[in-house]
Amino acid sequence: MAENIFGGFKEYSVAEFFKKNRQMLGFSGKIRSLTTIVHEYMTNSLDACGEAGIHPEIEVWVEELEKNDRYKVKVRDNGPGIPEKILGKALGMMLAGTKFHRYVQQRGQQGIGAAGCTMYSLITTGQPVSVVSKHQGKKISCKLGIDFKGNKPVLTEVVREECPLEEHGLEVEGVFADTKYEKSAYGVGEYLKRTAIVNPHARIVFNSPEGDKFVYPKSIEDLPEKAEEVKPHPLGIGANDLLDIAKASKEYTKLSAMLQNEFTRISLNKVKELRELVPEVNLDMKPSKLSWDDAEKLVVGFKKIKWIAPATDSVIPIGKEQIEKSLRNILNPEVIYVTNRPPKIYRGGIPFVVEVGIAYGGDINKEGKGGVVMRFANRAPLLFDAGGCAITQTVKNVEWKRYEIRKFDEDPIAILVNLASVHVPYTSAGKQSISGEDDVEEEIRNALMEAGRHVQKHLSGRRREKEKSTKKKAIMRYVGQISGDMAELAGNKAEKEEIKVGLQKMIEERFE
Amino acid sequence: MGEKETIEKLEDLGKSMIKQVKKRESPTFETPLRSRGNIEYDKSVGFLRLGAKKEERKFLNVAQAKTFMQTVAVANKTKKFLKEGLHTSIRGLYYQLKFSLGENLDESLFEEQTESNALIEDLEVAMGIKREDLHLTTDRKGVVAGNMIVKDTFAGEETTIDCSKQGRSGWMIPSDVDNGMEFVDVKADYVLVVEKDALWQRLNEDRFWKKEKCILITPKGQASRGTRRLLRRLADKGLPVYVFTDCDAWGWYIYWTIKTGSMTLAYLGRDFSIPEARFLGVTMADIDEFEFLKKLTIKAKPIDIKRAEEMLSYPWINVHPEWVKELKRVVRDKRKIEQDALQGKRLTFVGEYIRKKIKGKEWLP
Repeated sequence: MAENIFGGFKEYSVAEFFKKNRQMLGFSGKIRSLTTIVHEYMTNSLDACGEAGIHPEIEVWVEELEKNDRYKVKVRDNGPGIPEKILGKALGMMLAGTKFHRYVQQRGQQGIGAAGCTMYSLITTGQPVSVVSKHQGKKISCKLGIDFKGNKPVLTEVVREECPLEEHGLEVEGVFADTKYEKSAYGVGEYLKRTAIVNPHARIVFNSPEGDKFVYPKSIEDLPEKAEEVKPHPLGIGANDLLDIAKASKEYTKLSAMLQNEFTRISLNKVKELRELVPEVNLDMKPSKLSWDDAEKLVVGFKKIKWIAPATDSVIPIGKEQIEKSLRNILNPEVIYVTNRPPKIYRGGIPFVVEVGIAYGGDINKEGKGGVVMRFANRAPLLFDAGGCAITQTVKNVEWKRYEIRKFDEDPIAILVNLASVHVPYTSAGKQSISGEDDVEEEIRNALMEAGRHVQKHLSGRRREKEKSTKKKAIMRYVGQISGDMAELAGNKAEKEEIKVGLQKMIEERFE
Repeated sequence: MGEKETIEKLEDLGKSMIKQVKKRESPTFETPLRSRGNIEYDKSVGFLRLGAKKEERKFLNVAQAKTFMQTVAVANKTKKFLKEGLHTSIRGLYYQLKFSLGENLDESLFEEQTESNALIEDLEVAMGIKREDLHLTTDRKGVVAGNMIVKDTFAGEETTIDCSKQGRSGWMIPSDVDNGMEFVDVKADYVLVVEKDALWQRLNEDRFWKKEKCILITPKGQASRGTRRLLRRLADKGLPVYVFTDCDAWGWYIYWTIKTGSMTLAYLGRDFSIPEARFLGVTMADIDEFEFLKKLTIKAKPIDIKRAEEMLSYPWINVHPEWVKELKRVVRDKRKIEQDALQGKRLTFVGEYIRKKIKGKEWLP
């Protein structure tokens, strides 16, 4: 979609377009902009480490240069680094990322990547970013800017050195104005904490503007499974996706061949069905000739056909144990329950997995606020647009009282919801909230209820213990009186002590 | 029941509880259920009594612990009264037991009198002891006149009471007519129970009891425990008991309580009911016989109608066709007649009326 839009704005500079449409790319509002910058670098680092099979160790510095406006952000990772020939492309060219047009479950579906940050730095402060990359024994340090007119990276002050092979990684540092650091649910601190929760295989360190150092150590050894690239399912795409695929598929002479090869579950028979359903679209045309109107018609046609559901093994959850470990590490709660549910399908063709973790008690509402909802999509924290998010809504609609959570907003409860899917149904281009797909909402609700039941079990057990001890006290207080009366009634006052001890013993035993 | 026997029973209760404690069991207390579901009319004996349903209370049950402790406290306190030879009312008992549990507990043994009242009933039922035997007095109500001599041993003194020499006031029936009371001489052919004190005074002025050789009693409305016990004892001496009340639901209810006992006091059983009692009047049928009464009926209140309908549903009442007829007439006509109306003709007609009814055996069962 973005490519088309950029295409239509060729007469303007990309920067101008960016200025006008920055909210689309996650740069709306000072606080959100700063969080987005950190997010873009973090995502790149985590993905790079993932592909190289490295346990990520990422350190972030945010330093205030001008109060509530200008900040220096530095991110350093231990990833494979970037070779010089693609360094400029990776950090200085819009839409040059490796992720475009790949149907793979990935974090970096938001924003426009590190190049967007470079651009933001240039626009707000006029300064390029500083980069140090160590890749296969070669270290390169430089300043990196963008030639807006040509959408080309500009490298200056380049220094090339040798370095030991075992030293590798990337360090990016930039100065960004029109930003603001805040210690809130939307701030960099919270973003990194939540990132650490869903990436227990990573060590993440945050140096805050106040001079605090937050260390989230690695809590598991296993690296997450690598996501496999899968072909899209016809029910999982929109007209723009179809157009993108058609534009990129130059090897086919016929649209019908492209459909059969680039999609899963589209067979010769299904193509026939499609021809009958949408006779006005010529499936023998060249894919590159596909128009928006025809693409839309095809997508409508897809919805009328009965498809075999796609394979669900392309969806990779974080994992029950992993979430449990990191929740324990980071929140130190009294009780944790994490679901482990099989993949489900929404819109008839898109596989997804919902993972819910509930942590209760312990340190959770140390700061006095309970009912924390942590939303994630493919391991990326969603901090903004909570109100319109299906996760938030579903959590709100659960009758928490049934699960012994009296006051959701005050009780020490934290809920983690991760939606894993090749195609996350975001509400908007900002990609910060999940849209209300029925199947997705229902699955989230079921997962919440499953976790809720387990937490309830624990809580009611605890309540029973408490009741037992109050019961014990309630009976104990009557022992003195009844022992005296019983002894006197029987005509033997001397037995009072013996009765008292006997009763006390019985009560102790019964209400331990 | 003698005082010694009562004390023994109470001590046995304590001993059995201690035995349980020594066996490492929770002390228990078993009492028949007093709820409606466990009240039945025993046709063979003719009164209401409790069925077989029982409830076991345990001290080690949190919900019952306090009540249990209170029950033992009541039992122990009444045992003390018996040993000291002193009597008190149930309110007096409540005050004796209304003290703090101590040990820094912000709780009293009893907070409300209703708590102790219920437990007294529990003890009565569970142990087969009347509260009078526990030296608990009730309010006195009911007056007697007639040829009856009673010896009353009380407060260490012995008094002889002649019920034929009580002038206009009569002898007030005490709350306990069993303990320390001896009927030395009863010279009468029957017992007449008159609902209202006014009618009793009328008949007393007429010296009705002397002329008729009867024991004239008014319960002054619903009969007290003492009055019912006195009636029971007189019936045990072989005297027929006739009851004379208003012709309305309330009057008849008084009769039926005397005869079969009431739902609320069903646990008292035979000691407090007189199944052989007979009903003299006033009846709806009297209107047909005594013309003047027709003009003296008054409108029945909704509560009268409601009670009449209730009584029609009681199996021990609706087995009697005479009563069904009477009650249905009340429900139909919505009228009632007070016994005072019999004085409408002339004041002494009341006596004539009673004589006629007894002579002609014109009573209802």
